[in-house]
Amino acid sequence: MTQSLPPKSLVLYADDDPEDIELISEAFLSYSQNIELMTFPDGVELLNFIESIDPFHASPCLFILDINMPRLNGKETLQRLRTIESFIDVPAVLFSTSSLPADAVFAQSFNAGFVTKPLHTNQVYVIVDQIIEHCSEDVKKNIRGRRNNGNG
Amino acid sequence: MTKRALSLTEFIDLPQDVQFDVLHKHGVYVGKRKIDEKTAVLFQLHGFYVEVFYKQYRKLIESISTSASTEILLPYLDQISIKGFNEGKKEK
Repeated sequence: MTQSLPPKSLVLYADDDPEDIELISEAFLSYSQNIELMTFPDGVELLNFIESIDPFHASPCLFILDINMPRLNGKETLQRLRTIESFIDVPAVLFSTSSLPADAVFAQSFNAGFVTKPLHTNQVYVIVDQIIEHCSEDVKKNIRGRRNNGNG
Repeated sequence: MTKRALSLTEFIDLPQDVQFDVLHKHGVYVGKRKIDEKTAVLFQLHGFYVEVFYKQYRKLIESISTSASTEILLPYLDQISIKGFNEGKKEK
């Protein structure tokens, strides 16, 4: 008998800094049993991808958007995502090296979180946990469930 | 309690872990540059600047330097948007 595992939760991350992508991808490896992280160099590429998602592919459960990106920055990408009916309520996080209160207010106004990028190693895993906290309760329950079952 | 901006001297006197915490919570990104194998990131913090030198980017900090002089901006000028600078911010 073949028993298929539930699909992984899909997290989409757009950032033009390859070093930040590498760092966050590394940190997400500890969630790889539960989460598939896909990365994009800017908001345009991320939006192109979600427009092409086929119905058999898992839907994104979280967007992580670097604020300062070429072509389409994180704020613009968030604004556009919120105009697409299927993504109006999908959790999103604006991700930035700066801690500007105005950015946090902007994120909140589009029903998104705001997380400051880590300064050093000790903060990396804490920050990825903060990002995961923005996922829906169902996704978080799935992650915890698999961890409790010794799979993660 | 009223929040008060730290002076450069007060920042220098803080323990290093507290300095990093303050920088993470209140620092405004100015730019990033490579110096051989190392990476430096410059932040504006209240009325002064803090430059973080990494052995490994965002992982291992080698040292930090502080300055109230705008000369510290020179290596980052190509990354500073005039619009952002006028608004007193630069995002990354």
